[in-house]
Amino acid sequence: MRFDESIKRTTVLGLIALALAGMGIPPARAAASRVLNVRDEGHLRFITSDGSEIIDEGPALGTVPGKVRVYFVYNGEPTVSARFTIYGRSGSISGRAKARLSNPTSPDPSFRGAFTITAGSGRYAHIHGTGELFGVFYRRGSDKYGLVVQTIGKLPY
Amino acid sequence: MSRARAFTPALTLGVALALALCALRPGVAWAGQSASISTVFTPLRLGAPTTVSLGFQISAGAGQVPSPLTGVDFHYPSNLGIATSGLGVASCPVAELEAHGPSICPPDSRMGSGSAFVEIPVGGEVLTETASIGLVAGPSENGFVKLLVSATGLSPVAARIVMPSLLLAGNLKLTVPLVESLPGAADVSVVRVHVTLGGNLTYYERRHGKMVPYRPKSVVLPKRCPRGGFKFSATFSFLDGTQAEAKRTVGCPRGR
Repeated sequence: MRFDESIKRTTVLGLIALALAGMGIPPARAAASRVLNVRDEGHLRFITSDGSEIIDEGPALGTVPGKVRVYFVYNGEPTVSARFTIYGRSGSISGRAKARLSNPTSPDPSFRGAFTITAGSGRYAHIHGTGELFGVFYRRGSDKYGLVVQTIGKLPY
Repeated sequence: MSRARAFTPALTLGVALALALCALRPGVAWAGQSASISTVFTPLRLGAPTTVSLGFQISAGAGQVPSPLTGVDFHYPSNLGIATSGLGVASCPVAELEAHGPSICPPDSRMGSGSAFVEIPVGGEVLTETASIGLVAGPSENGFVKLLVSATGLSPVAARIVMPSLLLAGNLKLTVPLVESLPGAADVSVVRVHVTLGGNLTYYERRHGKMVPYRPKSVVLPKRCPRGGFKFSATFSFLDGTQAEAKRTVGCPRGR
């Protein structure tokens, strides 16, 4: 009886493994896959600038709370680019982004675009994926100069 | 080719006298032009806010007046922090600027100023004039920063021209309209221009219900000097169909 059950269990597991192999999914990986439903907002303060690149830093609130550092490049053309790293409690997430800036001769031009995750560490060592990016570039005054950035995406890790 | 008409009073006494001396349009012979540009960062300190001074000079042969300028294609280092400066946080409508000059524009749209020295051949004489230049931010176009360059001259030719240009990464193209001087006389020829971007500007922001003045964040130089220095170049186009090119390099500060 016990022998029959053992055979039965082995056969079922074998069939599942075969089915997964047929789908091209490694069974162990499929079991470990998680998705981070990111919806974060960062209020960043101007730290320094290097020509057309400004470096801002500040707290990130949302799914991955922590500190975010952004290298934002704007050379006058509507497309802006950025590199960023979010330092959370369980690890860091790095990525790059491209966005289109509108109304640049206003005190607070807004931008919208997409980001791609390029690296992660700790709990997010295998994080990857893309998402949407929104933000405002505050250009007025010395103490108000900075960025507000919102990110939305589903990132497997 | 668009022409800017002189505004009232179009003719001043000096011009009227010159006209009286020479009732006919003179035969203006333009020699080939040569050009030089100048660029100065004040201070020249890497990673620091700076005032950018730009200038150019057009020369014809000895005793000759240069052909009227029709265009400038200016190239500058694309990583110069012009767009990331806090300059031009408001925009000035082109029509307002044309009608009233830079003084009508919001203070927060002003980005710089300068002057232009022009020559006007009238008869056998060459009259000269200095026009004031204003650099202001205009309404953006498809997400591009629009820089408006206005030049206002009062005497002997009273005229104002506004040249809109899109700020591209490392490039600024200006179309210069011809400026009529006097009936039958040649158009105004630009000889020398000097402009300063940034500098002594005052902007205003609202704080606790009050408008408070502040100095806008200026152009910030990159922290590393490019190999061979900061390279600038310009191609000048003239009414006679010729072009002149000029280059200038701002050397890296010592110790970098």
